[in-house]
Formats: sequence, structure tokens, C-alpha cells
Amino acid sequence: MSMVRSEFRKVTTTKVLLWLTIATIAFSALNVVLLVFLTPRAMDLGSDVNLLLDPAYVTNILGAAGSSSIFILILGIIGMTSEYRHMTITSTFLVTPKRPRVLIAKGITYALLGAALGAIAFLTSTVVTLIALSKENHAPVDLTVALQILGGVLLAFAIYAFVGVSVGALIRNQVAAIVGALVWVLIIEALVTVFVDWIGKWLPGGALDAVLQTTNVSGRGGSDILPTAAGVVVLLGYAVLFGILASLITLRRDIT
Amino acid sequence: MISLTKRFGKVQAVSDLSFTAQPGRVTGFLGPNGSGKTTTLRCLLGLVQPTSGTTQVGGHDYRELPNPAAVVGATLEASGFHPGRTARGHLQVITDAASLPSGRADEVLALVGLTEAAGRKVGGFSLGMRQRLALAAALVGDPGVLILDEPANGLDPEGIAWLRGFLRARADEGRTVLVSSHVLSEVQQTVDDVVIISKGKLVQAGSLGELTGAGISQVRVRTPQLEVLRAALNAEAGSGARVNVVAVSPDEIMVAGLEAAEIGHLALREQVELHELTPVGTDLEALFLELTGGGNPGGAA
Ligand SMILES: Nc1ncnc2c1ncn2[C@@H]1O[C@H](COP(=O)(O)OP(=O)(O)OP(=O)(O)O)[C@@H](O)[C@H]1O
Ligand SMILES: [Mg+2]
Repeated sequence: MSMVRSEFRKVTTTKVLLWLTIATIAFSALNVVLLVFLTPRAMDLGSDVNLLLDPAYVTNILGAAGSSSIFILILGIIGMTSEYRHMTITSTFLVTPKRPRVLIAKGITYALLGAALGAIAFLTSTVVTLIALSKENHAPVDLTVALQILGGVLLAFAIYAFVGVSVGALIRNQVAAIVGALVWVLIIEALVTVFVDWIGKWLPGGALDAVLQTTNVSGRGGSDILPTAAGVVVLLGYAVLFGILASLITLRRDIT
Repeated sequence: MISLTKRFGKVQAVSDLSFTAQPGRVTGFLGPNGSGKTTTLRCLLGLVQPTSGTTQVGGHDYRELPNPAAVVGATLEASGFHPGRTARGHLQVITDAASLPSGRADEVLALVGLTEAAGRKVGGFSLGMRQRLALAAALVGDPGVLILDEPANGLDPEGIAWLRGFLRARADEGRTVLVSSHVLSEVQQTVDDVVIISKGKLVQAGSLGELTGAGISQVRVRTPQLEVLRAALNAEAGSGARVNVVAVSPDEIMVAGLEAAEIGHLALREQVELHELTPVGTDLEALFLELTGGGNPGGAA
């Protein structure tokens, strides 16, 4: 408990959280705006169907809350790697020489922060959606579906932040970890998902989409997706797997 | 610390080193650059896994201490600060983790003279301010053991004098204080005991008194008849005594290996007029260089 408090103190005494919160809000809002104003019009050209009248499409718009997941992953990565980058890991391990405890405390802390950012992202997407749709002709917003999306975003972001912490523990170089994560998410996972989607759904991104249960964000359109519960288990599995690998390999390395 | 050995790949940083630091005394841990001081301290603090051997603090392996901050306070070279965090924030991260009241941060900042900078970001701190902040961090848990790696680096003369008094006071309270340094003269006024290493190996351990006893005391001699005295001293050296004469200026020499009284006696016998005859005490720095073999950095196996 005291260690979780210490971890909270670490993030709140620096600026990273602020910037990533701003990025999350901006990106969620941007995605909603694109979905409301740009996509339906672009598609209207070829047909006279108004997508905004489709309830499933309106659900998708709310699901834009999940679009900022990459920032959550980066938040977790920075939380761990900045300790190595600034060598504060020395004082961290001096106070807590049993190193796996540090990883667990960080995992818990960043899961809570991830959930908080999930709530902020959902609030942003809901408010922006309601404002954007107010002057449009649209299908009604289903409250139950909205609450499901909220639950999904909270859970997904919490676990995803934990995955970020574990990845950071495994790849201690901050630049390498962030670049690696971006390449993985934006290129490798995207390609695997497009070409071999039966593998794609088992990857962290696929599991994340299963927890979010939104289809527009990742471009996973028609491809099949794991059930939500399975998604939770798989995503948690990655967080724990990377954490254990880090404990066995990188976490025990000499601090010099 | 028993038979500690640490290898980094091909570099043998510490070999078969054993020593103890006593409560109530300031122990100087000395050695030239690259001799393995920092590595030894990092092993002691559980940051580096020894290749072989064990280390204990207060009878326990550091990693087994339930709340290490309350037992051992340490500063290490290159231990870091987040540049965007304030001095107070940095310390409160530690007080939180060690379950200490966060007000303790301001108390230790006052102890090291950083009260005014408490709310400033560490990124803008000078080297000396960082040293003080590191020391403050070591003190948060009010530990009985202090392990400080080159704490005087970057401190101004006033800061060094303050540090000496501070360490003395901690030892007088019965605490164990271990300070490393690569210059003996820097710590000789403060330490009770010395542990000297070179190339990862122990060369001398004992009280400062024992060390100075083994040292070379020197006498400064000024005379207008330098050549006559020199010849007499060299004759004395030739007779087997270990005498060393170094010319300083045309009328001044430094003599090692003879007491002032013996030189005075010699001068009287040779009818040499003396203008000065001053014992200058042990040249610890020369002794240190001799013990550590000139301080050749590295230490490859
Ligand atoms: N992480 C590391 N990898 C490889 N070699 C290392 C590492 N850390 C230290 N060494 C080597 O171990 C030896 C001892 O280094 P150490 O830092 O302990 O010396 P030191 O006595 O603290 O020196 P200084 O007075 O310069 O601080 C040196 O040869 C150094 O190059
Ligand atoms: Mg050193």
C-alpha cells in the first residue's frame, strides 16, 4: 500500500501524466468528430444511406473512447523506463530491495491510472458525441450499450497500462521500448490482423479489442474477435507473462 | 563483508575483499579511481549481485531488511533524480515507500541546508546541491548506518567542513559511518578507521593511527650550507638508515626517515647553521600513493 502511494507520488510529481491525459482527451474527441462528420459524408457519395441513422454506427462513435489505448500503453512504459532513464531506480531499489514488489506496485498503480484515463476518455467521447449529433439526424444513443462501452474501456485501459509497465520492465531503454511498442501495434499487429486474423485475435491488440468490443477503432471490421471474458484473460496473461519474464531476466540485473 | 568478488565480464572489479566498519566510528573507504569502491558499496546495498562472497549490514543481508531505509542510508555516485521533480517531491517518494510521514522530507532538507530549494526542480540543481539532496535522502529514515560514496564531490570548502562535522556527530551518536573517497587528505581529518583498496584488493585496514604510525614523517630544513648538510645526511643514508632527501629550493630540503632531533644533532656535529627545522608530520598522500601503487585505473583481470 505504501509503495502504491509512492508510485502515485512519482507520477503526480512529473508532467507525463498531464500530457498523456491531454493526448487522450484530444484523440478521443478527434475520433468522434471524424466519425460523425467525415466518414458518413464520404460514404454518402456513393449511396444515399445515412450511416448516422444506423444504431450500430452510433455505438461505434461512442466506442472512440477506446481509440487512445496507445497512450495508455506508453504511460505504463514511461512509468517503468523513466526510472532507468533518470537512474531513480537506484533509490527505488534501495528502499525496496525486493524488486518484484516494485513491479507489482507499479502494475497496480498504473492499472488504476489506466482506468481513470479510461473514464476520462469515455466522458470525452460521450460529451463530444452528444454535442456533435445534436444538429444531425441520427439513431438514438442506447444507454445500456454506452455503459457496456464504459465498462470495457475501464477494464481494457487498466490492463493495458499494466502491460505497458511489464513491457517497460523487460525493455528498460525508454526510446527502444516506446518505438518497439509503436512498431508492434501500428505495423506488426496491424499486418498480422489483416492477413492472418485467427492469430491476430490472440495478440495483445486483439485481446484489447475483445475487451473493448468496438470494431471501428482498430480497423478490425469484419474479422472475428474473442469473447470479452476471454479477451480479459488473454490481455491479463500478457501483462503477467511480460512481468514474470522481466523478473527473471532484466529486473534482477545489476544497477550500476 | 566477507570475501567479496565481483566480475563484470572480463573486468575483475573487486577480488576477495573483506572488511568491517564499526559503530561509533567513521570509516574511510579509500582507493584510486576504478579500484572498486562504488562496486563494493553497490554489492553491499543489494544493487549489484556479487560473483561470490557475502555482505551484511547490521547482521543481515541488505535485501532481507524489512524496512531498509530505517537501518541504512546510502548515497551513490550517479544515483539519479528525475529532473522535473522538486527536491521535496523526490524525498516524499522515498518517505511514502518507507512508510514515513511526508513531513520528514522538509526536516532532512533543513538538515542539509536545502530548505530554500525545497520547491525547486532538481533539473536546475548544481552538483553540490544534488550531493546535499542525496545526503538528505540517505537521512530520511534516521538510519544507524550511513554509507556514502564520495559525498564531498562537488561540495564547496564550507560544505566540506560542514560535512566533516556532520559525519563526526553521527558517529559520536553511535552510528556506523562508511565514506568512500579517492583522496586520503580529504577524509584524514574526519575518519577514525581506514580501509584502503587498490585494483579491487585490500591493501590496508585499521585505525588511522596505525596508518600514520606506518607512515613517513618528514622534516623541513632550511640552511645556507645546504651542500654540507646534504652530504652528512647522505652519509647517514649510506650507513643503512632509510633516509630520503628531496631538494625544494636552493636553501631548503625535505628529509624523510629521520627525526628533527636527529637532524639537529647531525647539523651541530657538522657545524652547519640552521634557519629552520620543522617536522611537517606524515605525508599521508605519499603513503597512500605508495600503498595503492600509483593508482593505475582499470584493473582488468
Ligand atoms: N557496469 C559495469 N560494467 C563493466 N565494468 C564495470 C561496471 N561498473 C564498474 N566496472 C569496472 O569495475 C572497476 C571498478 O569500478 P568502480 O566504479 O567500483 O571504481 P571506484 O573505486 O568507485 O572508482 P571512482 O573513484 O572512479 O569512483 C572499474 O574497472 C570499472 O571500469
Ligand atoms: Mg566510485
